[in-house]
Formats: sequence, C-alpha cells, structure tokens
Amino acid sequence: MAYMTNFGTHSEPNIEVHKFYGGAVLGTCLLALVFQTFLHKYGRWSELIDLPLLVTIYFGVSRRNPVSGLFLGAGIGILQDALSHDNPIGMYGIAKTIVGYLASSVGARIDTEHPLSRFGLIFLFFHFHQAILAITQRVLLNHSAPLFTIHLFVDSLVTSGFGVILFALLDRLRKSS
Amino acid sequence: MIDTFSRHRPLSLLAIVVLAQVLLLAFQIKRENNVRLVRYWAVELMTPLERVGTWTFSHVGGVWGGYVGLRNTRAENERLHSEVDKLRLRNRELESRSAEAQRLSTLLNFHDAHPEAPMLAAQVIGASADPTSHTLFINRGERDRLRRNMGVITPDGVVGKVVEVFPSTAQVLLINDKDSGVGALFAVSRTHGVVRGSGDPEPHMEYVVNDEKLQPGDVIVTSGEDRIFPKDLLIGTVGNSKPGSPFQVISVQPAARLDRLEDVIVLLSLQELAPKKTEENSEASGARDGAQPPQSSTPAAKPAGVVTDPRKFKPPATPTSAPANKTPTAQPPAPQQ
Repeated sequence: MAYMTNFGTHSEPNIEVHKFYGGAVLGTCLLALVFQTFLHKYGRWSELIDLPLLVTIYFGVSRRNPVSGLFLGAGIGILQDALSHDNPIGMYGIAKTIVGYLASSVGARIDTEHPLSRFGLIFLFFHFHQAILAITQRVLLNHSAPLFTIHLFVDSLVTSGFGVILFALLDRLRKSS
Repeated sequence: MIDTFSRHRPLSLLAIVVLAQVLLLAFQIKRENNVRLVRYWAVELMTPLERVGTWTFSHVGGVWGGYVGLRNTRAENERLHSEVDKLRLRNRELESRSAEAQRLSTLLNFHDAHPEAPMLAAQVIGASADPTSHTLFINRGERDRLRRNMGVITPDGVVGKVVEVFPSTAQVLLINDKDSGVGALFAVSRTHGVVRGSGDPEPHMEYVVNDEKLQPGDVIVTSGEDRIFPKDLLIGTVGNSKPGSPFQVISVQPAARLDRLEDVIVLLSLQELAPKKTEENSEASGARDGAQPPQSSTPAAKPAGVVTDPRKFKPPATPTSAPANKTPTAQPPAPQQ
C-alpha cells in the first residue's frame, strides 16, 4: 500500500491510495464498455447494469485522485456516448466526469472497502448520475427525462448489488503493498 | 486568478472538462429550424448584451441630445432671432432700393426718350407743413441750375412748378394747390382751358363753355401757353363735369400720383418734348435693355407723359371716345401763375 501525503487542497495523511497493475485500469474500462455494448444485444436485462458507471466509481474511490477521477470518468463517458447510436457525445461524458470527480473526493474521506458502504455509495452515485443525465437532457435536448422512477430504483438496486460483487473482483487487480 | 486556479485545481479542471463537453454537446445538438445549440446560446447570450448596449446608447444619446446638447440652444436661438431681425431689416432695405431703382429706371427711360430737352431728376425730400398748401421740397436747388417757374413732371404726367429756389433745395407748387394754374387743352377737341387747384386733391379745369361735350376720361394735356410746360404734356383726365355759370365745372384726375411722389423730373427749359422721338426712343430703350418698358400706374405714362395721338391714349379709368376735330368755342385767358 502506498500513502498519499498531499491530496488536492487538503493534506490528509494516512489515507490509502491503491495502485493497480499496469494496464489494469485501461483494460478494465475498455472491457466494461465492450461488455456493455455486447450484453445490450441480449435483451432488456443488460440495461439494468451500467458497467461503465461502476468502473468509474470503483477507480475513483480506489485511486482517490479527483483529477485522474474526472478524466477517467470523462473518457469512459465520451466513449460510451460514441458507442451509442443516438446520444450526442458528451451526455454520459458530463455525468461520468462529475461522478468520477466526486467518487475520488468521497473515497478520500470515507471507508469504501466495506461491502455495505460500497452498496450505498453505488446506489447514491447511480441516482446522482441519473439526475445529471436527466438534467442535461432536459436542458440541452429539451427531452422530458425522468429524475426518479420505480424502474430506475430497481435498476439502482441491481446495479448496486452487482457493483459490490464487481468491486470485490476488481480488488484483485490492486498491487499488494 | 492563477493562484485561485492552483488552490482549487481539481475543481477548476472539473469545471473546464464539463464545460468543454457541454460545448461539444452544443455543437452537435440542433434545435428547431436546424439551428445548432451553440448558435442558439451565442444568440441568446449576445442579444441581451446588445439590448443593454442599444438601450444604454439610445438613452445616453437621448440625454445628450435632449439636455447636454441643448445647453447652447438658447444662445443659438437668440443669435438666430437677432440674425432674422437683421435679415428682415436688410430685406426691407433691399425692397426699398429695388423700388427706388424701378422709379429711377422710369425716369431714365423718360430722359432717354427726350435727349433734346434738358431735364434733371430730383428726389422729393419733404412736403408742406400746411395741410391746405400742396407743395413739396426736392433735393435740387440753385447749385443745380434750378430757377423759379421751371416745370416739374413725372413720366406719368405734370406735377407742378418750382416756386422757390434755395441753394440745395427747391419748393414745388403742385397742380392741385389753390394758387396753381396750368395752361391746358383737351387732347381730342383741342379746346383750351386752365387747370387750377382748388385746395382739394383734384384740381379743376376752368374756362370751358357749357356747349363743350365732355365725357369722363377725356384726356387733358398742357397747352404750352403758360410758358412753363411744353405743349402736349399729360395733365390728367376728366373726372366729372357739370354745367356751370358761365363755364362748366370740370374736375380733373391728375395723371401723376401727387400724393405718392418720390422722384420727379425738373424741366430746365421750355423746349417741347418731341413726340415722334419719344416713341422711337421708347422702343430703342426697350430693345437696348432687352426688357419691357417700365411699368407705370397709368398707360399714358409709358415712358413719357407726352400725348402724341389722343385717339391712341387710354385713360386709366374709363376710355374716352370723344369726337375729333372739334372747334374750340372759347379762348381762355392765359393762366396767371
């Protein structure tokens, strides 16, 4: 484990900053995007899980660097937009940029290792991500995107549950201290 | 600014990245009428600024034009009023000069029409202080070779005679003064008489017998018997006539406008004004000037008040058609002036 001694504007010693094997972050992100588009072909159930969002949250809270978090979120979001057929590039980009930044900031302050806290974190970020998407669509596209529905609630629960499992798998990509 | 950016570097980067993506979206998204969102925003952003700018400029301009720019208006208004007054005065002066030039032109034409007769133009500078006396003063006197009993005329007709001569002025007795008398005759019938003043604006013709058939408008000219006026100068026309004892009472309408005299001609000799030359010179003068002969109040005064053919003369009021070749029935005495 490595310890960050100077993080953003705050100097908070004894905060764990996880490092990953080379190419793990990039590979995971690309794999998440590929799986998201690949699974999309096999029915409605794949829409329940937002793999790129989970990856963004995970690497954000693990690396705990807001700058890298926001750039990672921006990259994943823009690629997700590019792979979708009707989304203008930037819709997911904006949402995931902010999520990546906030996840990094939150990861530096609270315990993100416990499964329950991970579940709660994913649940909140899911709805936050959805809220940004809805606001962006309303403001920029004049679409009446919903802020909260039962369907979204179920999605958030499924994604959060799946996220807890995924996060545990991704923990194996961390370098041991 | 840079310090603030350094202190909040992650947050600033977040803002920049999000803003960049928003702009990226704005370039892609098209609104109604296929207008890109970024153009929409640009217009929406700029329009209020332009409105504010226009409003500011118009109000500042209005304040400037309505208040600040008007601070000199009062002074300018006064200056313009003063200028208008001066121009009005100047206009009156020019109108006066134009009228004077017109009168002098008439006199000059008259003089040109009679080059053989020595004459002198004079300006009326005053009138008699006595309302019953019809005299006036002219700006010519002894220095200008004026003598007593010289005839004074206008292109319209006979005015009077010089009664007093001073070094630089002279007094003229008008033909309507009660002491005045001019040897006269009817232009058509050649009947003689004397035109005398009566103190009224209109003189009378005396010594015409009751048998003489007269009509209003009959022309009266000088007879030359008074040794003051040459023969055949226009005096006026018959106003009305009625039988009297022993002679008719005939009122005469003077051809010259005796109440509005400004410029007159003093005849320096008794030499007759050549009638034929008058017409020739009149035409020559008109041709030389390239203009119409000067207008006058009466047709008989164009340009010389000399009656050449009574049949051609048309008096101002009513034209006469008196028979020609009438034999005079009485011979009046020579007028005593």
